[in-house]
Amino acid sequence: MSVRVRFAGAAFTYAGGERPAVCDLTVELAPGEIMALAGAPGAGTTTFLLLAAGFAPRLTGGVLTGDRTSAVTRPGIVFATPWTQLTGLCHTVRAEVAFGPAQHGWARERVLALAEDAMRRLGVGHLADRDPATLSGGELQRVIVASALALEPDLLALDDPAAELDPEGADALYALLPAVAETGAAVLVATPDTARAARVATRALLLEDGRIARDGRPAEVLA
Amino acid sequence: MIGYVPGDSPLHRAHPYTPLALAAGVFLAAFAVSGPRPAAFVVAAALGMGLLGGVLRHAVRPALAFALPVWALLLVVHGLRGPEPFVAVGPITLSESGLDRALVLGSRVTAILVAFLTALACVAPPRLVEAMTARGASFARMYLLVSTLTLVPRLRERAARILEAQQCRGLRLGGSPVARVRALGPLVLPLVLGALAEVDEQVFALDARGVSLGGGARRTSLWPPPDPPLERAVRWAVLVLVVTLYAVRLA
Repeated sequence: MSVRVRFAGAAFTYAGGERPAVCDLTVELAPGEIMALAGAPGAGTTTFLLLAAGFAPRLTGGVLTGDRTSAVTRPGIVFATPWTQLTGLCHTVRAEVAFGPAQHGWARERVLALAEDAMRRLGVGHLADRDPATLSGGELQRVIVASALALEPDLLALDDPAAELDPEGADALYALLPAVAETGAAVLVATPDTARAARVATRALLLEDGRIARDGRPAEVLA
Repeated sequence: MIGYVPGDSPLHRAHPYTPLALAAGVFLAAFAVSGPRPAAFVVAAALGMGLLGGVLRHAVRPALAFALPVWALLLVVHGLRGPEPFVAVGPITLSESGLDRALVLGSRVTAILVAFLTALACVAPPRLVEAMTARGASFARMYLLVSTLTLVPRLRERAARILEAQQCRGLRLGGSPVARVRALGPLVLPLVLGALAEVDEQVFALDARGVSLGGGARRTSLWPPPDPPLERAVRWAVLVLVVTLYAVRLA
């Protein structure tokens, strides 16, 4: 299948919601594509991420109507607040990053190699033996992104991933996305930082009130 | 302080199951003994655990904070209102059998609290995860256990942050007991709501990292703690001791 996720006339309403958080979604996301999602708060970008990664409605509850076809088997997700994404079970950064691959039951050598590689790519190798609870917000966010990359995700969903990062850290994070996409992963990044997103995205969606208002080249959609 | 206390004592270095087995042993022994003197031995064993772990102060202080009101209640219920014969303890007359009963029950509560708080202070949750992973425990069981063990420190940390924020907005913590109780409102609500909101995002993060995997995927143990034969022998000895105590009691 050459499409990672496909929505056809999809709409999603959270449990107890009076109206759909997103609706009339008809869009495809291909492997290797970097899609930037933009929209005002409440426009539905986070919901779109959760739907694409398969977390909604499986974990959120709610009702999905229309059609969603997904070939995603190993999604990675990163939110804006890194401290809510720690496992709480690891006392070193290395263990935190290795947690996901270990959970998949992969061989120990492979797990540790993936963790080392992900930490190196995010520039947190020197923090490997630190307790995640002692890191700054920016350091922690890079650890969380490394944790997602260590899983070798086939879809990486990022929700305002640079909110805790300084400008240099944000640049480095966005610069990493093309390399992630080159591995065949589809990358979805919801962000208000449209300037940085436009530099790396291959496609952009603008959501308004839960609907796709524009879909096209980042330079045009995010301008 | 309730929770893990970093250290390098024999109990800190031990396989995580060993302090937990010792605490479980104290727990079971506390219910196996029936007289004040044996109960005092169980308390002594719990205090010995605290000493061995180098966390006696950390274990005894919170244990007493919980146990002293229980002691007071037991002395009133069993000592003052118990059956004859009575004995004079200073200016107070107490029921002899009631006093014995209060001593046994109070010792039981104290020993159990000291032992488990010691185990809590000596077992690093991540090492426990590794130990359980190495034994093939399910993630759900591990997460439930470790979350419980780390609940108090996490809530305390969060409560401190909320209190600081509320104080910046003018919350006054001092004053009369009534004023202190009133100050709980601005603390408890954000504490509970914040914890619930965090759980939401953590569910996604944990799920993405494979915690919901079915199909028999068994978590890889990365750094299993060593479990030397001596420690396994100690754990078996605890089991034998407990079984013996119950056998003696039932005989």
